[in-house]
Amino acid sequence: MNEPNAATFQLPEQMSTVAPEIDWLYYFIYWLSVVLFVAIVGAMIYFAIKYRERKGHKAEPTGHNLPLEIAWTVAPVFILVFLFHKGFEGYMNLSIAPANSMEIRVNAKQWSWEFVYPNGASSDKLHVPVHKPIKLVMASADVIHSFYAPALRVKRDVVPGMYTTVWFEATHVGKDDIACAEYCGGRSEGPNGTLPYQPSDDPDNPYPPGQMTGHWAMHSMVYVEAQEDFDKFMKSIGDPCESYASQGKACPGTIAAAQGLKLYSTKGCVACHTTTGAKLVGPSWKGIWAHGETTDKGRIVVDENYVRESILDPQAKVVAGYPPTMPTFRGQISDAEIDEIIALIKSLKDEGPAPAQQ
Amino acid sequence: MAAVDIPISGAHAADTHDDPDASYLKAGRGIGSWLTTLDHKRIGLMYLTMVCLAFFTGGIFALLIRLELFSRGRTIMDAETYNRFFTLHGAIMVFLFIIPSVPAALGNFFLPIMIGAKDVAFPRLNLFSYYIYLLGAAVALLSIIMGSVDTGWTFYTPYSVQTQNSVISMTLGAFILGFSSILTGLNFLVTVHTMRAPGCTWSRMPLFVWGMYATALIQVLATPVLAITLLLLCAERFFGIGIFDPKLGGDPVLFQHFFWFYSHPAVYIMIVPGMAITSELIATFSRRAIFGQFAIAMSSISLAVLGFLVWGHHLFAAGMSEYATMLFSALTFLVAIPSGVKVFNWTATIYKGSILWASPMLYAMAFIFLFTIGGLTGLFLGTLNVDIHLTDTYFVVAHFHYVMMGGTVIAFVGGLLYWWPKMTGKMHDEVKAKIGFVFVFVGFNTVFIPQFIMGSRGMPRRYYDYLPQYEIFHRISTVGSWILGTGLLITGYTLLEALWRGKRAPRNPWGSAGYEWMTDTPPCLANFHKTPVFTRGPYDYHLATPEELATGWDEVEQDGKKG
Repeated sequence: MNEPNAATFQLPEQMSTVAPEIDWLYYFIYWLSVVLFVAIVGAMIYFAIKYRERKGHKAEPTGHNLPLEIAWTVAPVFILVFLFHKGFEGYMNLSIAPANSMEIRVNAKQWSWEFVYPNGASSDKLHVPVHKPIKLVMASADVIHSFYAPALRVKRDVVPGMYTTVWFEATHVGKDDIACAEYCGGRSEGPNGTLPYQPSDDPDNPYPPGQMTGHWAMHSMVYVEAQEDFDKFMKSIGDPCESYASQGKACPGTIAAAQGLKLYSTKGCVACHTTTGAKLVGPSWKGIWAHGETTDKGRIVVDENYVRESILDPQAKVVAGYPPTMPTFRGQISDAEIDEIIALIKSLKDEGPAPAQQ
Repeated sequence: MAAVDIPISGAHAADTHDDPDASYLKAGRGIGSWLTTLDHKRIGLMYLTMVCLAFFTGGIFALLIRLELFSRGRTIMDAETYNRFFTLHGAIMVFLFIIPSVPAALGNFFLPIMIGAKDVAFPRLNLFSYYIYLLGAAVALLSIIMGSVDTGWTFYTPYSVQTQNSVISMTLGAFILGFSSILTGLNFLVTVHTMRAPGCTWSRMPLFVWGMYATALIQVLATPVLAITLLLLCAERFFGIGIFDPKLGGDPVLFQHFFWFYSHPAVYIMIVPGMAITSELIATFSRRAIFGQFAIAMSSISLAVLGFLVWGHHLFAAGMSEYATMLFSALTFLVAIPSGVKVFNWTATIYKGSILWASPMLYAMAFIFLFTIGGLTGLFLGTLNVDIHLTDTYFVVAHFHYVMMGGTVIAFVGGLLYWWPKMTGKMHDEVKAKIGFVFVFVGFNTVFIPQFIMGSRGMPRRYYDYLPQYEIFHRISTVGSWILGTGLLITGYTLLEALWRGKRAPRNPWGSAGYEWMTDTPPCLANFHKTPVFTRGPYDYHLATPEELATGWDEVEQDGKKG
């Protein structure tokens, strides 16, 4: 393999747009370290041999060399500032997903991954189209997990009780392992863990189900596909739009948003919030998504975590101009239902059309 | 030496009826005289016994973990057992071995001697802290009987709240051990401030003492935070108070902030003493004052201060605001400066010295070798976007083992070999010690270099099983663990053999100018026969008299005065 994105001895294949700059920095630090290490340890060993104790040799009393001491205190600062700067710059690229990203929901639990696509269908292996920014919005049902795809060079903890996000854009068709990088327990299967475990030779399914469950076996794959293959895959896992079509109904923008619209009535949100932009007791949901708002605790941006917090702990950050009167829904609404409310509010973005009323 | 004895602390001299001029090993006989002793040297030795036992136990777990990872699938144990063993390895090594290792054992023994004091400021508190340590260790190890902990030594919530295992006894054990650590630190701080002998000014104070002082500062200031965190965790499990568990409205990441607010400074509780020993070894075996002595002392203090400001770098992938992440990355890089200053100064000390290639010096040079790798690999992890790829992989495992084991443990073993004659009055066999060193050094690198490579290739940590492409690295690493274990066994045997077969040690077998070598071997109960007055620094080889640096027997002893 001589392609520029092939695996090297130290690093896996490069499959994402951010990988080259991360790897460049990795190898920069590596060679910097090699030079410093050889200089320091080489000097130490050379001196220790050259000035070894022997007849007629005496240690020279230690003097002072202030310029030297200042030099080796100050010189590293320049290198460190450079590394900090490059690292932070790269980190910001990793943090801010492009606005045109395709959103995929990731549900992690002990010990499996579930990927929910915009059309509401889901799979246990992640399929993504090539050359398209993908934003994963992740939540955990139990303990902390961490989404790690080595060749994509992304990793982000998946924390229960909040949403975390990670984004990437794959540069070519291929596949990568998905691993859990935060310890989350595990056990051997069978009575008293006695079931003999045979590692599988299928690289895509290294842990046969029923034999092994745990942190290490929370393995999945990401398949990067050409757009038409991705569309085919979407169809194969059952595009819920087709079931709407078969009933002669219009397909809603997203299934989750349509569910959210039902909750909007049944949970009573409708009493204080509109979906049209009109003000009631609370702010309208129309056009509020991804908007900066002033609250009694300062500026915020309406995102997954803010909506979740406002449902479970409404007085935490109240949008300016509205009374702090909303009751908490803690214990009355499930995580899945919160997801659907979020999907509804997302669908009410200024530019997007509202889901069809049913 | 003149027989006039001017007590400087008087604290324990008044409590014993023993002859202050007799060897501390002979002052009082029987197990009872050890268990109730207020002598810092005996307490140091009792600590040493326990921490070595803890190291042995933690090492056994390490070997078993490595053996399990030799092959894919089940090798020797099931998954639950593996999860418990790596937790026990971490918890025992951190809480029972490495934190108390240098301060409580070697520090207890040598800090008072190196400042010319008779004992620490609060000898009773010192003994008390030892029994607290024993109690904490017992409570922590009780968890093994009660089903054992499987959370990792970091006890991350909400897993540690939800798991069925006996998290409480392990956390309570760590909570109790914290008090032992705090009391030792407090004792050292007061001792250094109030009990230095005439002539032992701050600028002459040995670098080992400076290191212990910096460590004590961290122990006193940081450990209470761990205590609070672990208590909150217990309250969470017992009463469900909802601080960390998201099901009850808590924030699991808050636990990580609390935990690392202690545990990152604790990294410096572990490494600063190792650096302190290395400074002593480099000076003695180069026959030369430490280059930039003041800079080394100050770098210990600045590591202690910086250590409090960088805990967030454990959470780069966990979810913090971009501003917090930026700040923690910047502060983390600052740690490289005092660390670099130390390494540069040690190398400059060897330059134009007269280097004796004795076994402790081999360990000191291995410390520089391994700590430099540990420190430089820290640069990868401080660089934000590179850290995202590497964090929670074997790269991190290798990095902190190069610092903790390649740093602190290597320095600890070097310190043991260096001070063994002074502590026990017996010389060890240098040939065996050097053979042991070769095994330790080769074995250590064989264990951990493959771990860097598999980590950067994407192998996450705390995995019972792994993908086929990592098997070769795991195999090399496991073979390395056998070499390393053999080396440590040889070294342990060398030290124990000295006790019954070793030649009697003279006062100053290494020809050091350090203060602790100016008194008897082994030291008398009061450390010095009369209060010493230091007229030169502990590294002033050009000012030391030939008698002070002589490696043979003192004339007074040849006269038979010591009988």
